[in-house]
Amino acid sequence: MALLEEPIKGIAKPKNYINGEWTESKGPISENVNPATGKVISQVANSTKDEVDAAIKAAKAAFITWRQTPPVARARCLFRLKQLLEENFEELSRIQTQEHGKCIDESRGETRRGIENVEVACGIPTLMMGTNLEDISSGIDEYLIRQPLGVFGIIGPFNFPFMIPLWSAPYAIATGNTVVIKPSPEVPLSQWRLTQLIDEAGFPPGVWNIVNGGSEVGNALMEHSDIKGITFVGSTKTARYIYCKCGETGKRVIAQAGAKNFMVIMLDCNRIATIPAMMTSFFGNTGQRCLSGANLVIVGEDDKFYKDFVNSIVEAASRIVIGYGLDESVQMGPVKDKTKKEKILGYIESGIKDGAKILLDGRKNLKIVGDYPDTCFIGPTIFEDVTPSMKIGREEIFGPVMSIMRAKNLDEAINMCNASPYGNGNAIFTNSGKSAREFQYRVASGNIGINIGIVAPMAFFPFSGAKDSFFGVLHTQGQEAVRFFTESKVVIQRWP
Amino acid sequence: MAINTASAAISFGKELEQEGAKFYEDLSQKYPQYKDTFMSMVRENQKYAVMVQEAYFSVISDAIEGCFAFDINPEDFEFKTRLSETTDNSEVLSKAIEIEEIMVKFYTETTEQSKSLLGDMSRVFGLIVRKRNARITILKSM
Repeated sequence: MALLEEPIKGIAKPKNYINGEWTESKGPISENVNPATGKVISQVANSTKDEVDAAIKAAKAAFITWRQTPPVARARCLFRLKQLLEENFEELSRIQTQEHGKCIDESRGETRRGIENVEVACGIPTLMMGTNLEDISSGIDEYLIRQPLGVFGIIGPFNFPFMIPLWSAPYAIATGNTVVIKPSPEVPLSQWRLTQLIDEAGFPPGVWNIVNGGSEVGNALMEHSDIKGITFVGSTKTARYIYCKCGETGKRVIAQAGAKNFMVIMLDCNRIATIPAMMTSFFGNTGQRCLSGANLVIVGEDDKFYKDFVNSIVEAASRIVIGYGLDESVQMGPVKDKTKKEKILGYIESGIKDGAKILLDGRKNLKIVGDYPDTCFIGPTIFEDVTPSMKIGREEIFGPVMSIMRAKNLDEAINMCNASPYGNGNAIFTNSGKSAREFQYRVASGNIGINIGIVAPMAFFPFSGAKDSFFGVLHTQGQEAVRFFTESKVVIQRWP
Repeated sequence: MAINTASAAISFGKELEQEGAKFYEDLSQKYPQYKDTFMSMVRENQKYAVMVQEAYFSVISDAIEGCFAFDINPEDFEFKTRLSETTDNSEVLSKAIEIEEIMVKFYTETTEQSKSLLGDMSRVFGLIVRKRNARITILKSM
């Protein structure tokens, strides 16, 4: 199948966007490659502390007038952005595939999910409304108003370069705050292109700023006294660090972290529908997402069901077409870079060493559609006889690796889920409402799937998380994001 | 190569619609007495291509099985649109009906395969199947 055209030709050099101007950074440059082709696709600077300070200063100055801009006028800027995002939908999607490696269907899905957050934030005149009650005592009224706080820092991950900053940023600015976004330095182009559209949409200078760079930039944001809060998505280690750091500096924080999700298969599940759901859950985005399935738990002692189901899974996984995501026939792209691939290979070795049985080995017989280097490619890998205590059964691999376990009954499966330190997106596949209800009720997980393999909340619901998968109180997206980005001010009045 | 992703299925559907549109455009020139009918079919084909793409772009999500939704053999839905100079009216209509039946078969298959995965897409596919069946009735009456 012919390749879709690449929107990024040559090497892109995204600049910082500060106070409505594209500015060159003085920081050291690093290169990123398209993981499918191996070609250098971007050169991006690790911005200096002075540049971060300049962005925060611009955002702070812009806040004064932006917060006074009527919510309906702020919403209109977002409506213009939404229109531009729709007009550039395909280009934005293909850029994600180029810089991250995911397939075009997945990139378009990411673009749609990002736009949906802009759409929800367009409703800010309603979302931001407060509440009131007359006569809390005779002749005394009380009401609550929501006010913006100032400048927020948004730190994005590599696995969803376009969408994840949009879990926060539209709500932050819709509520009257201003933002400084730090995209992942591994995938800076999606936010760069998005910011070009922000510029075109006519947001006032300083409302939306981009500062490229790595952990130094992240630290500079967290240490700055004018930053009121941080949203972050990434590893548990970094999320915990950010949570503590923001605690020290008195900032609000949403820190979404790692995961080890369990997909629990009951004997009464709809097998025809469950198999493709498992392919998406475990191998979609090449396993590089915090909602990916990691452990497949087959419940019951029916050996025939177990064998048939596992065979179907292995057969479906072995047919997955691997290659460059701009080829529409490709179902799974590469992982982001060589280092990440090596880490995954390390986990596969560890699984073998710990006694798990490998049913499908993604290291062998790798068939890549097209003439591409195998540097970042790895095939779907399936282990059985995995236990929760094995390294591959307990740690986040962030790659296309499925660990199959068995549980005698639902109770045991639920206990396995709850014994994990993570609690992000566990799911059950069943036709029994009773089992589903039991699972939903007892499993300690921020997001629960019932016959859904990727439990990604829509923009109008919070993206939840529990245990080591989330640090904070309020969540990104929807009404909770509006609350995170505003202070509740209560007024009590009496006119004697 | 089999069509296995939503993206490939949509592109293939668009190609079929475009080929069909070209076929009816040619017919409208060759048979002026049916020009209005054939040109309305051209416009419908173009509209269906847009509808399918819009349905896909508006529901596609990273959380559903877009990459694993389909298993379609494109060879099952190939049709030839070229007509020889000597083709008579009844052969032309038979050809048009054949093309429409292939399109119905394609959309019926994609409706079925996307039913539990991409609900809005299967709804649009189903709508196009109904419209096309109505078109077959018109062609048979000509």
